[in-house]
Amino acid sequence: MSLKQKLALYKKQLHQAQQAEKQPIHRQTEDHSTENESEILVAANALKSGIRRFEDEYVLVHSEQLSLTHKIGPYRPGDLFRTVALWHEGPKNHPLSAAALRAEDLLFFDTETTGLSAGAGEMIFLIGMARVNRNGVVLKQYLLPGPGHEVAFYDAFLSDCGSLKNLVTFNGKAFDWPRVKTRYQFVRDQVPRLPAFGHFDLLHASRRLWKDRLDSVRLQSVEKAILSMGRTDDVPGKMAPYLYFKFLKHPDAGLISGILEHNREDVLSLISLYIHLSGLILGDLPADEGESFQIGRWFAQLGAADRARSLFEPLALRSDAYGIRSKIFLAKLCKRAGKYGHALSLFRSAIAEEKEPDNLLFIEAAKLMEHQFRDYSGAMHYTQRAIHGLRERANAEDHSGAALLSDCLKRLNRLDQKMLRENNG
Amino acid sequence: MKARQSMDELLSDLKRDPNVVHWHTVPGREAVSVPFPESLDSRICRALNHRGINALYSHQADAFQSVMAGKDVVLVTPTASGKTLCYNLPVLQHLLDDPTSRALYFFPTKALAQDQKNEMEQLIQEIGVPLKSYTYDGDTSGTIRQSIRRAGQIVMTNPDMLHSSILPHHTKWVSFFENLKFIVIDELHVYRGVFGSHVANVIRRLERICSYYGSHPQFICTSATIRNPREHAEALTGRKMTLINRNGAPAVRKHFLFYNPPVVNKQLNVREDEMIAVKTIAARFLKNRIQTIVFARSKLKVELLVSHLQEINSGRDEKAKICAYRGGYLPLERRRIERGLRNGDIMGVVSTNALELGVDIGQLRVCIMTGYPGNMASVWQQAGRAGRRQGDAIIIMVASSNPLDQYMATHPDYFFSRNPEDVRINPDNLMILADHIKCSAYELPFKKGEKFGGQPADDLCEFLADEDLLHFQAGKWYWMNDAFPANEISLRSAVQDSFAIVDVTDRGHARVIGEMDRFGAMTMLYEDAIYIHQGVQYHVDQLDLDERKAYIRKVNVNYYTDSDLAVQMDVLETDEKKPLQGLDADQSFGDVSVRALPTVFKKIRFETMENIGWGHIHLPEMEMHTNGTWISFSEAWTNRFGKDVFQGVLAGLSHLLRHAAPLFVLCDQSDLSVVPRIKATHNELPTLFIYDKYPGGIGLSKKLYEAMPDLLRKAREMAAACDCESGCPSCIGFVSEGRAAKQALLHLLGAVAPCR
Repeated sequence: MSLKQKLALYKKQLHQAQQAEKQPIHRQTEDHSTENESEILVAANALKSGIRRFEDEYVLVHSEQLSLTHKIGPYRPGDLFRTVALWHEGPKNHPLSAAALRAEDLLFFDTETTGLSAGAGEMIFLIGMARVNRNGVVLKQYLLPGPGHEVAFYDAFLSDCGSLKNLVTFNGKAFDWPRVKTRYQFVRDQVPRLPAFGHFDLLHASRRLWKDRLDSVRLQSVEKAILSMGRTDDVPGKMAPYLYFKFLKHPDAGLISGILEHNREDVLSLISLYIHLSGLILGDLPADEGESFQIGRWFAQLGAADRARSLFEPLALRSDAYGIRSKIFLAKLCKRAGKYGHALSLFRSAIAEEKEPDNLLFIEAAKLMEHQFRDYSGAMHYTQRAIHGLRERANAEDHSGAALLSDCLKRLNRLDQKMLRENNG
Repeated sequence: MKARQSMDELLSDLKRDPNVVHWHTVPGREAVSVPFPESLDSRICRALNHRGINALYSHQADAFQSVMAGKDVVLVTPTASGKTLCYNLPVLQHLLDDPTSRALYFFPTKALAQDQKNEMEQLIQEIGVPLKSYTYDGDTSGTIRQSIRRAGQIVMTNPDMLHSSILPHHTKWVSFFENLKFIVIDELHVYRGVFGSHVANVIRRLERICSYYGSHPQFICTSATIRNPREHAEALTGRKMTLINRNGAPAVRKHFLFYNPPVVNKQLNVREDEMIAVKTIAARFLKNRIQTIVFARSKLKVELLVSHLQEINSGRDEKAKICAYRGGYLPLERRRIERGLRNGDIMGVVSTNALELGVDIGQLRVCIMTGYPGNMASVWQQAGRAGRRQGDAIIIMVASSNPLDQYMATHPDYFFSRNPEDVRINPDNLMILADHIKCSAYELPFKKGEKFGGQPADDLCEFLADEDLLHFQAGKWYWMNDAFPANEISLRSAVQDSFAIVDVTDRGHARVIGEMDRFGAMTMLYEDAIYIHQGVQYHVDQLDLDERKAYIRKVNVNYYTDSDLAVQMDVLETDEKKPLQGLDADQSFGDVSVRALPTVFKKIRFETMENIGWGHIHLPEMEMHTNGTWISFSEAWTNRFGKDVFQGVLAGLSHLLRHAAPLFVLCDQSDLSVVPRIKATHNELPTLFIYDKYPGGIGLSKKLYEAMPDLLRKAREMAAACDCESGCPSCIGFVSEGRAAKQALLHLLGAVAPCR
């Protein structure tokens, strides 16, 4: 029997098998359309896009220029110049730092894809990017009119994008960029080289600052809760693949105009979000206690002790949880700077204020007392409290707890010896 | 305490044992060695010398020469014949000549890949050149994956990983695929049936990707002894293969004994349970500290034997010296057992066929098989576990009462002259093919007219486009769906439409303990069934057909359940038909529809096998289209013997064929079904159907169609060789009108020309 006959015989069974694997989606059963360039040209017109050709392929390109005073939520693109200027005075090693850049160097970037897994079969069908220069915002969107046009698509994008060293994205490091690299493999012989790239990932910064107050740190939720922006008639991102698949069968601009608008707003929001985040980090905007604390913590991790200290000091005066946590950070910074007395009194005050002080606090304090102040009995007291706490929380699978406990017991022994020697001597 | 008996004393005991029905001695063999090939790199020669290897076995040298001459090679190697060097030598030689080249090894299990990697690393160390070999599987940490993809010269993985991780992400492996020179496939015979058909398609996808990146790797395959190694390797890889099967490895002398347990019930011709016999024999060796391996066919039997043997061995620290070894153990546990066997801490091991694979456990003196393992390939693989290095080896096969075992026990000449079975796959099974076209389209778009496994994929691509999975544009089909197809397709589960088996014993912590295809689920996981998993009994609380889940709960009862199916057989299409010589009957091959409706189930007590209750099964009918072969007898036979007797004949013949079929094609009894019909719907004749129990068929019934006259002859011999008068489990089973049916059956089949 030929494959064709077999197929006829087994079609029902095969169809059921396909159904069993898929989640139910509403499906169109029309004949699959042949490519219709004229329909696409009509759609391009409706989407205010031009056509760029590459041999027998083409891509839809939408370009627009927005004025520097165009409002994007609380900010205007023109504000970016001030932001960059502030970075020039600010910390050099911060991940969001534009200290060595001009505003024009930043490329705000976002993509839409046909699926969320990262394999070779997912395509990017829409790239949006924007740059801010002295004349305004230059925004471009590239739409793939069908899977057979990727050479034209990437050729247009790579010819236009210039340097990709300073991409500003929301989760681009883990999502957008690996997909660009994957698809590039398929067209690499025919398009300009994929340039080196660098990243400002605003998802990372947003998570740091706001993950406690947001259910999920998505761009839309940040816009709404932090920048007080609202979108009207937004197409949810997860609908994008389905709408695009439909568009491929019937190139009707109405199907995907919503996706293009969604992508456009994403790209523009990135400009405002970068301005906002930079303002908070650089102290140009008033940060609330939660934001200040997280920014301080970030500076502390980056080794920018002065900046961290100046953020923690006012917070440490508070009597809430941020106050105590800031004291602890301050104490650690003091200890590192050799200001042991100051450090110890901060630890002590944190211990006194905390209802159930973390065992690590006792251990830190005990270390200082033992090594810097030779206050063995004080150190012993704190070590015992740490041991008590560790034992209470003891739990078979907690290896770090067990290791801490054994360290504490060693310390206790040593302190004992030292006290004996001191008494005898 | 009784003094220990020596091996010789034990042997002479066995010689006097009346239940030992046959004693066959296979003489030892000297090694056939040849000097190192001249082209072999001096650094490799030095490393081998360092290990005490100063010459190669002839087959190792043959393999080296053929591979270096650019041939695709399949090697047939018995257990412990040094097969690893057959592929490692040419691969290492090539890597030393050209360090940019890459090799992909794949093994059926992660454990085997791990073993091979360790062995490879030792050899590399002795060679003294920093070649990089890695395993790449689910356990590989994310941090080193990237460097393996970039710089791994030898990557050892398994087909599942290739299917769901490496191929769908081939853009991350560009330089690997561009420079891929060798694909090594070990344990080729494992890739049979549905699994093999899937793997053949994974290899087609791999080839598509290699050719996309401009490489054309050579295949080096190894297989245990099967009848058709070259044909099988060609079916699996789609390449012309050079076969190397002249084994140059030495072997020790082997005593091969058949033990047939005594008849304990003369009327019913029932023999002592083979498990009891195995326990007694194994205990004799173990008590005398002779390392013994026992093979049993099911996980349940393994666990039972281990607990019995541990009881016998009651010394304080002796208990730990007998272990079970089967699939499903954690790697650490397996390593511990393997080490124990090698250094002698463990005296006995009871295993399923997991140990058939080439895991190195060193020497054991005795191998005991609980029943005929089902195929000759397994017989020799299991037998190879005894006497791997020195001293006479003893292999004892203990027959069970099923027809095949009894036939073997009474026909040792047939047994020892037997060729191993054919291995069959059907990579073009439509269901499997469609799955892999999806995966392959995800990896690379299909051009119009492009071939996949030798035939154009257009029809299937069009079908998949209708299903909204692919999109056709400018002469190519592109994946256009937001799913990741490889995730939904498992190489090892029978059908995609699988049911999850959920253990809800602990209400708060329900967990999935396995999965089963729809057919299996409806015949084994119906509500109120007792389902046995890893030796534990579960009660089926609920079978949710929509969610495809079976909820089960641990119980402890003294019965099991068995379902009755009302099966409707229809012929959809007859592809081939011919008369059966000398028998007033026709045989046919084609597509059949099987519609099955589970009706009732019986509760059967374990010890006595008595029926202690029953219940209704409330499930809808299931339908499956598959390949089948069928024999339609002339109406004259029914008229001659009478309907009742002939019904018994058909039932008896089904029983025989079910057991005889595995003699002709390498499969499990559960891969095939045999259904008798006194009046088939398509031609109203008495008909016996044999069909593949997988939608679309996997080539088993096709092979049986070709072998039908031989299959029937074998069935007759089995029936004739049995002494019983009116049917017993060892021949036609218990059927209605047993005495007359057995006579009629012998008469009927007597017309088929006798065996050559």
